[in-house]
Amino acid sequence: MSAWTPREMMVVAASHEIADGELILVGLGVPQIAALLAKATHAPDVTLALELGVIAAHPTESAMGIADPRMWQGAQAVCGMIDVLGYLLHGGRVTMGILGALEVDTAGSANSSVITQNDGTKRRFTGSGGANDIASLAGRVMIVMSHDPRKFRDRVEFLTSPGRRVNGGPRAAAGLSGLGTASIVTDRAVIDVDDDGLRLRSVHPGEDAAAVVADTPVALRSDGVVEAPPPSSNELRLIREEFDTQGWYTS
Amino acid sequence: MSKLASLEESAASVEDGSHIAFGGFAITRCVVAVAHALVRARRRDLTLSQVVGGFDTDLLVGGGCVTRLAYSGGSLDRFGSLHAVNRAILEHEIDAEEYSSLALTLRLHAGGLGLPFIPTRSMLGSDLIADFADNSDAVRTGSDPFTGATVALLAPLRPDVAFIHVDVADEAGNATIGGPTWGMRETAFAAKRTVLLTEAVVAVGAIDPNSVAIPAPVVSSVIHAPSGAFPTAVVGRYDYNREHLTAYAAASKAGGSAYAEFLDEYVFAVNSHAEYLALAGGEPSA
Repeated sequence: MSAWTPREMMVVAASHEIADGELILVGLGVPQIAALLAKATHAPDVTLALELGVIAAHPTESAMGIADPRMWQGAQAVCGMIDVLGYLLHGGRVTMGILGALEVDTAGSANSSVITQNDGTKRRFTGSGGANDIASLAGRVMIVMSHDPRKFRDRVEFLTSPGRRVNGGPRAAAGLSGLGTASIVTDRAVIDVDDDGLRLRSVHPGEDAAAVVADTPVALRSDGVVEAPPPSSNELRLIREEFDTQGWYTS
Repeated sequence: MSKLASLEESAASVEDGSHIAFGGFAITRCVVAVAHALVRARRRDLTLSQVVGGFDTDLLVGGGCVTRLAYSGGSLDRFGSLHAVNRAILEHEIDAEEYSSLALTLRLHAGGLGLPFIPTRSMLGSDLIADFADNSDAVRTGSDPFTGATVALLAPLRPDVAFIHVDVADEAGNATIGGPTWGMRETAFAAKRTVLLTEAVVAVGAIDPNSVAIPAPVVSSVIHAPSGAFPTAVVGRYDYNREHLTAYAAASKAGGSAYAEFLDEYVFAVNSHAEYLALAGGEPSA
């Protein structure tokens, strides 16, 4: 199998964060591919759910989004938002949520709503959808995003989804359940989020920890950083031949 | 009693200034036929509530019908953003209330149940809840009377009219929905009047009662609207139309005269959804 792309490594590293038996709420793209990859390798008893009311789908075609019926192919159950975001998530049954982010802060809070661009104009994005619900209520959250220095902020421009701590205090005191953001997986590294902030856990093969720290312009502890193993040929085959055949998300 | 009605009379019954709700989600089950009819009728000053915005949301806002929007964000999936909505918000042409998907669905759920309010742990500590005023009539922060814990308190939401796209409805209004239902049932139960757009109409008794998603007592009207969600998808019946959604997304992104020309060509210059289907490459579903 040929060399891998940084985004393929991001998906592989994200899949390694998933334990067998988990009930996971995912969105489109990299989060979904990471969960499907985990299910096809080390975590066969993982169950994926989509906020609009789809449980345990097994899509076989690349979809345009979670509203694309291709995403629902092979579902074991279809239901509604109250079932998935209400009974499963608010009810405390979802062990993990996987989210993307425009920006994150040192508590792992995420912005998916609005960004002020270099020319001073604001640009609006998708907004919350179920992201805030997942961040507020899931057992823990993994954020998957590209390692763009502009995406790491001391304070996100708009706090769509709360992280590990809220307003400097424990999230439980704010009324939230679950652990909040536990890790941030990028195309260069895996960063743990704990009560003290961010800690660089591992860098992807060939990455230099000091360079990653330099490109992460917020407080980032970096003691004991290890280099992650490269993707296996089986992982690359699954990504390329089954989960992202068009290369939309990982090329 | 048959509740069959025409698209035109149902659209005409929506008064300027009223509060409507749409059941569409991004690029699926959007109530395109009614969104076009409302834009064509130049309805103004509407409040639109929709759990997740999509093609129908962007059309209604871009068509100038909306002054207030309650939603949890949305998109045209990978076809693009809700550019008309985003532009209208950034240019202060509409007031937007932004929720999480669950929070807005819970507001509708409370509306349907007749609850005075419903508590949740969603949205706490976020800028979503911070953007609601302390005395908001929609969302407030309070405390659980039993434990003292902080909770979000959501007011019930009762739109005047909801429009939902279903698969099969009988003449009394019992309806089936294939695939996931996101917030459509809660929206149908919450509204003071619920209008169904349906691919097929059958006689009462012809639908297996086990498959009814929306029961007749909450339905006011049934509109036979084959391919009424085109160019968005209805699972098991028709796919989204890639070419037309791509063309719309480009026009919506460009805005200005490009968007106006798109609306002229596909909304104002046609007189019916059947004409639109013929023009835009949609097949009326059987």
